[in-house]
Amino acid sequence: MARFILKRFLQLIPILMGVATVTFLIMYVIPGDPVLSLVGERYDAETLDRLREQIGLNEPLPIRYLNYLMDTFRLDLGRSFITGKPVIDSIREYFPRTLLLAASAMFLAVAAGLVIGVISALERFRWLGRFLMISSLVGVSIPVFWLGLLLIYLFSIKLSLLPPSGYGGGSLRYLILPAVTLSFASMATVARVSRSAFLDISSEDFARTARAKGLNEFKVYGKHLFRNALIPVITIVGTDFGSYLSGSVLTESIFGWPGLGRFIVRAILRRDFPVIQGSVLFMAVLFIMVNLAVDISYGIVDPRIRLRKG
Amino acid sequence: MKYKNISKLTFIFLLAPLFLYCSQEAPPGTLRRAFQTEPTTLDPASAVDYSSGVVTSLVHSNLVRVDPAGRIRPDLAIWWEVSGGGKRYTFHLGRHSFSNGREVTSEDVVYSFRRLLSPSTLSPRWWVLGDLEGAASYHGGGIWSGRGAEAVDDTTLILRLEEPVAHFLSLLSMPAAGVICPEADESQAPYGSNPCGSGPWILDEWVEGDFISFRSNPRFEEVDIPLDKLIYRFIPETMTRIAEFEVGNLDILEIPYAELERWKSAGIKLERKEELRTVYIGLNLSREPFSDIRVRRALNLAVDVEAIIARILFGAGRKARGVIPPTLKNTRTGEDLYGYNPRKADSLLEAAGLSDGFRMEIWQRESPSGGRILESVQAFLAEVGVEVELVTRDWSAFKQAVNHGTPDAFYLDWFADYPDPENFIAPLFHSENTGGKGNRTGYSNRRVDSLISAASKCLDDSLRMEMLEEAELIIYRDAPWIFLWFPVRYEAVSPRVKGYRMPLIFNGQRYLDVSL
Repeated sequence: MARFILKRFLQLIPILMGVATVTFLIMYVIPGDPVLSLVGERYDAETLDRLREQIGLNEPLPIRYLNYLMDTFRLDLGRSFITGKPVIDSIREYFPRTLLLAASAMFLAVAAGLVIGVISALERFRWLGRFLMISSLVGVSIPVFWLGLLLIYLFSIKLSLLPPSGYGGGSLRYLILPAVTLSFASMATVARVSRSAFLDISSEDFARTARAKGLNEFKVYGKHLFRNALIPVITIVGTDFGSYLSGSVLTESIFGWPGLGRFIVRAILRRDFPVIQGSVLFMAVLFIMVNLAVDISYGIVDPRIRLRKG
Repeated sequence: MKYKNISKLTFIFLLAPLFLYCSQEAPPGTLRRAFQTEPTTLDPASAVDYSSGVVTSLVHSNLVRVDPAGRIRPDLAIWWEVSGGGKRYTFHLGRHSFSNGREVTSEDVVYSFRRLLSPSTLSPRWWVLGDLEGAASYHGGGIWSGRGAEAVDDTTLILRLEEPVAHFLSLLSMPAAGVICPEADESQAPYGSNPCGSGPWILDEWVEGDFISFRSNPRFEEVDIPLDKLIYRFIPETMTRIAEFEVGNLDILEIPYAELERWKSAGIKLERKEELRTVYIGLNLSREPFSDIRVRRALNLAVDVEAIIARILFGAGRKARGVIPPTLKNTRTGEDLYGYNPRKADSLLEAAGLSDGFRMEIWQRESPSGGRILESVQAFLAEVGVEVELVTRDWSAFKQAVNHGTPDAFYLDWFADYPDPENFIAPLFHSENTGGKGNRTGYSNRRVDSLISAASKCLDDSLRMEMLEEAELIIYRDAPWIFLWFPVRYEAVSPRVKGYRMPLIFNGQRYLDVSL
């Protein structure tokens, strides 16, 4: 296990080099000029040139690339062209809020998705099961933007139960609507996948044995089938959680949630290169970490899955 | 069955937190507003965007300021004299204190002005004070002569100009000319997030991505500020801002065009103001066939601007018959040279040898309303045989392309920096300002250039206005733009807000007379 983890960490280096290089080159290729965001309207060419000089954009491309790699290697992600603030400080500020939203959404998705999955597997021939499956199909297809606005309309404007937007210092009532919105698609996928996983394994020998022992359906599902059905769910959680952690631009925008997604989009629109490059690298590391955690958890959930040795 | 109980419990668990929130009472003494985009700084030298300009003006005082109606009013200076043929301004400062408690002296004004002009500050707004004697040379790396801004004593300040500048006081009201406390600038903390001014508001808290709040400055001696706190939340989505206003979490809200009918019919009190802004489609004059005046006039005649204002803007605009907003011309609107007339447009195109029409691109930046507006322009132009392709780019790429003269035409607007007609003529049409300085069509007309220069030096207001209006008429006839409209802004104001007036210019409202 230790060797496996070490190996995965070593694999990080070439992946991050690749991500860093590609991000750097994309920044160079796409049209747009970061200095234009600094000068606003009515600027003169001389000021533009001096600003470009100051933030190092006048250096030849290979030198800029090397400087960037060296800085990254020293874990220095640079400073925002626009605000002058160290990128790492901004990530430190934005990431915990994104983490809070992502973790809550994932918790909701898994908890509610599994419950729906179990119920619809048990009730598959009755109206409740069919209703839940149709609902989850709707859930997978529903656009986040529309759902977010619908929830705001219902719970904030009509029922006055929850605030429409904001972070509220991380308080629960501000978290609910964005978390539910963000969780919706994953919840529906978890429900559908866990239902079919439950159905697949419920006819296997060990399930039949459990039923033959006289256990009721609840215990059969809870004790014997549950862990076996988790594998595909973990895969979904891994992929979705990885992308939630890099910020969910739509959800964050609708609910005015000050997360990483909005931070990065704003940087892209202003061509704030250090922020874009730093954040993309950070997201790449997160994604790899989440995938690693998923791989490890396969083995914990199902001991039959052994991680290949070195 | 047991699992049914479990699912019920889960359901209750998930819904329980909903009931933790009940509609909250609005905090007393706190005015709540929202920005679509977050400010980037509170430093007068680097505030170039709308929201940064607004907040910078709350925290800092200038020598003079603009009131909500757009008139120049005393700020730090309680009175001033102009002498030397408009080249010498003597300002007499009142008693004002910085938020750190120290009294503002004329030396502080000199420090702030010198800082803005210094080449090491790299301020893109140094031109605001660029007319001071020796300013350009100092900015270019020369020595500071001290002639441009001289502190005679603690409360007397002399500003000397290279040439008379008729709109100089307007320039002094801009956020860039804000007076900062030198101690704060010299400290380690970046000034942009740790400002120290003598304005009516003090930065209280700035949570990146979430909100910025200000508390009233107890040392602000001009008036007793009725509000305790001012909060601007950062909410990018229009619909979300509307929802926040509807549930009572915001006190003032700009209403988008598409929502106007609904709000008007709901009987909510709306404030209305013609903005100091003009919306246009700039034509690339260095390129065929736009170098032909007949083609440019034909394009103007072919677009039914009134119809677009009525159907897409729901009346929230006034057709532009020139470039200076009527508010700055005592509401004079002038003659409409380009009433919708596709037949006349056809004949002009025929005379220009384009009877078969032509193809052109109109570039736009991503915006919620731009698409619909340009699609109707596209349809109007198609009627006279002009096939328009719409190209959308994000702001950075769009601006770069337009400044380099890449597109045939571009859809853009111009916000006033200060409430003076000069601001709509000189940057946009003086041949010296081609490109990023504002004249993006490459328009060049010697008569217009000389009128602008003469108006700038003319201290007789009515004569100056005549010159600027003459320049405007020449430009209007030359049609370097497809002239569209001057937008009208609507704001909904919560009934709990008293004394609020929508400002004519972005930094014209400092909430001194607003109470709850």
